[in-house]
Amino acid sequence: MSTVDWKNYEPVLIPDIKDLHKIDVYEKNGGYQALKSILTDKKKWADPKSVINEVKEANIRGRGGAGFNAGLKWSFMPPADGGARYLACNGDESEPGTFKDRKIFEYNPHVFIEGALIAAYAMEITTIYVYIRGEYLTYIKMMEKAIEDAYAKGYIGKKIFGSSFSVDFYVHSGAGAYICGEETSMLESLEGKRGYPRVKPPFPAQKGLWGRPTTINNIETLAHVTSVINRGAQWFKNIGAPTHPGPILYGISGHVNKPGVYELPSGVPVLDLINDVAGGIRNGKKLKAVIPGGSSTPVLRADQLDGITMDADSLRTVGSMLGTAGMVVMDEDTDMVDMLWRIAHFYHHESCGQCTPCREGTGWLEKVLLKIKNGEGEIRDLDLLLDVTTQMEGRTICALADAAAWPVRFTINRFRDEFEARCKKSVHALA
Amino acid sequence: MPQVIIDGQTYEFEGKHKLLQFIQDLGKEVPFFCYHPSMTAPANCRQCMVKVGQFVKDRESGEYELDDNGEKVIRWFPKLQTSCNIDVADDMIVHTQETDALVRRAQKDNLELILINHPLDCPICDQAGECPLQIQTYKYGPEGSRFEVKKVHKPKRVVLGPRVVLDAERCINCTRCTRFTEEISKTNQLTITSRGDKNYPTTAPGREFTDPYSLNTVDICPVGALTSADFRFRARVWEMNQTPSIDITNGKGCNIDLWTRDNLVLRITPRYNGEVNDHWMPDEGREAYKIFNENRISRPLQKLDGEQILSSWNNSIATFNEQIAARDKKEILFIGSPHASVEENYALQQLANLMGINEVIFTSHTESGKGDDFLLTDDLAPNTTGCRLLGLKELDQKDLGFRVKKASLIVLVNDHFIDREIFSASDLDGKYLVSFATNHSKTTKFADLVIPITTAAEHAASYVNVDGRIQRTIPAKETKYSNRRLNLEMSEGRLDRYGTNFDNWVTEDNKIDCIPLWNFITEAANASGLDLSFEDGRSMMNEISDKFKPFENVSYEAMDAHAGIQLSLNPKTESPKVK
Repeated sequence: MSTVDWKNYEPVLIPDIKDLHKIDVYEKNGGYQALKSILTDKKKWADPKSVINEVKEANIRGRGGAGFNAGLKWSFMPPADGGARYLACNGDESEPGTFKDRKIFEYNPHVFIEGALIAAYAMEITTIYVYIRGEYLTYIKMMEKAIEDAYAKGYIGKKIFGSSFSVDFYVHSGAGAYICGEETSMLESLEGKRGYPRVKPPFPAQKGLWGRPTTINNIETLAHVTSVINRGAQWFKNIGAPTHPGPILYGISGHVNKPGVYELPSGVPVLDLINDVAGGIRNGKKLKAVIPGGSSTPVLRADQLDGITMDADSLRTVGSMLGTAGMVVMDEDTDMVDMLWRIAHFYHHESCGQCTPCREGTGWLEKVLLKIKNGEGEIRDLDLLLDVTTQMEGRTICALADAAAWPVRFTINRFRDEFEARCKKSVHALA
Repeated sequence: MPQVIIDGQTYEFEGKHKLLQFIQDLGKEVPFFCYHPSMTAPANCRQCMVKVGQFVKDRESGEYELDDNGEKVIRWFPKLQTSCNIDVADDMIVHTQETDALVRRAQKDNLELILINHPLDCPICDQAGECPLQIQTYKYGPEGSRFEVKKVHKPKRVVLGPRVVLDAERCINCTRCTRFTEEISKTNQLTITSRGDKNYPTTAPGREFTDPYSLNTVDICPVGALTSADFRFRARVWEMNQTPSIDITNGKGCNIDLWTRDNLVLRITPRYNGEVNDHWMPDEGREAYKIFNENRISRPLQKLDGEQILSSWNNSIATFNEQIAARDKKEILFIGSPHASVEENYALQQLANLMGINEVIFTSHTESGKGDDFLLTDDLAPNTTGCRLLGLKELDQKDLGFRVKKASLIVLVNDHFIDREIFSASDLDGKYLVSFATNHSKTTKFADLVIPITTAAEHAASYVNVDGRIQRTIPAKETKYSNRRLNLEMSEGRLDRYGTNFDNWVTEDNKIDCIPLWNFITEAANASGLDLSFEDGRSMMNEISDKFKPFENVSYEAMDAHAGIQLSLNPKTESPKVK
């Protein structure tokens, strides 16, 4: 496997330019040229379809965690019928370990706004919503300012660049629920209802927001759209891992010297990210475990990481996923029982309560883990936990039950000795 | 015709069906909690899981793909599917819990999860005995629980509104109640609050659950989370008899069940009729159980020296005949009633005819603003249309007042004009008032002769609703003169069959000393030498059907077979005429 050349990569989403969040600075650095091009350059962009094709060709795999080709998703929208069509941009970003979209809101909001406008043009969308988690109050305000500025400059509104394309753009704040990051419950939340995931089918492209065709994209995904239009699908495809191309915002947190968000090509070796990009493990400790892409992706032991790169295919070989590329690094002092209980506590707290297996299962998992954490567990409790995860997995409307079950299953399987050590001693002496 | 294979059996189907409903319509079963045929399927209880697959067809040729043994290749859905919200499709293969261990396991797992935070207080829960959770757990649930940690505690005995009480711990979050207020009654008064295993249905802060249809949520609650404030802790369901009947509190004629124990009607619940009330009924109709139990007239009353005293049946029949005979027929006024059944009005009409009294009059009982576009009507009586179809003369209240003034003897059937303020007690000075009635009222207090008659809960009789649908009641409680074991119209409950006279719930105390109006009329007519004889509602309806064109196809058998019969109601072309 050839190593990805990440050392010479120049960031495009979060380049080191002062005050890039201001619209003037963004314009000076080539801002809104992609939008202008697709709206005015009829030779290059004959119709909205040509934009979709370019994005499809670039193979931007959704950065929200599912990794679905964004252009392909766009092509599922039914033909325009004159009625309302929506783009819902998912900036709920509530998966523990994930904090990449916040970087875009803070340092380069216009690259996302431009990407969203391009998407809206491509799918003949009339209204864009950006749903931002409520805790990001500062960034909600920054986004509102950025959108206001873009309206003032005529990038959003009626007849943009003199074309027939008009669109409205609204910021909608979340209220602190993890589940509202699930695309269909985000739609419910946008409609002012309880954040309950919807049953699919019908899929949002057929019946989304207020029953109208809707596409939901992650913030980072849409930001990449701007680069793809500016630099071409080929440029994007040449970056990083071939099956999961393009730059990724890696959010690295945990026991590293330099935690933060880093824009690098996909497919960077996990150990390079930890040791070179993030400056190695804190206090010279040894690496113990890594959660590669947000708390729901299965944890990996340090000894599983040799030669593993940050892309979906490579991570799958060791039984994990890329998720949101929000990496949590844990050193040798980390107590895996405590860690798992904390994750289970999170999912118990955040289960919306709609489906039985998740509503009841997440609480059961947490309570048994608490018992083990307090040294009151028995070894049979570990098998009970594993059994409960199978009772939850794949039996609910959305994937939260899976997200809650996987960490429990894989952490116990991969660190079983640590869990057993915390349980009460067996009454039967072995010898 | 498209085909679906369920548990190895092939069924043909037409049109669109949801799989769960389709399986149920076949008389088979898949357990479920949140699904309700009249509401949307949220698929949130996850109990109705089945395994679903499809025969693989070659895209181009349309031929089935075959495996090495020549069997059709099946492509199974990667996950189990909830049958409530999946459409039945051609070439679909379904395995339910009957034939598939995986499905059985999934359903068992799900029940284990539902039960971990459920209080399991069936011995003190009102729902026990008619609880889907209890039934499904016995049938499909695990034998025990592996849950050894603390259950979640939630609010109990929450008074949601005047009629509904919530026990949030029993709730399994099926959202049937919130969907009912959203989709059926459209008041949106209930919602789910909080999140995860702490969530439960409630009203908005500071608001009461005052929905006029609120008690339907108690019926559809698949556990004992929502209970009726009135019925709570009154009776166990297996101690009661369930008798189909008709709501008599308004003109809609909702189909209901009367639940009786010990000759008291303890609760009223709606009974499905797609043509009338679907699965629902208004809360007002449920309050009517009190009419059947409380304030009843038992034994005839007769005024003697200005005071009502208990009389005997023989004496009251003789008095009735004497009073009629003593007067000019023109001074006698027979008033029928929309509150009385078709049969009762008919009996009165026949008696009047034989006595040479020209006509029987009635006035409707409506209150504008009472109705809505659902199950409440402005008409507060169950049989206004029936009176019209029998050809009773309808008078407005003013004309009725004139007629009362001119009469010297007034015969009333179950209509309380003084209570309704159509005429006052002073209007009756010097007149003789005969009141056939079920309950004491201001009006019966002024009557010179009060004859207790049976209610809809004690006789079989028919009522024509505002839309012209004729439906009938079935006796649910015994009178002094009827016996559940001998009366073929009456249903026999578990305790009637297996209980002895020494079981404490069999008592004579709650039997009312009253008879059907037509029995009294038969007795009175025979005593005065008139040739008139009515046996029961069933034979009377056959007579009515012969005599009145609008009723021509009506019989008790036909009504039972079709859950009521729609009468043709076009006054222009088919004015109700006596043949």
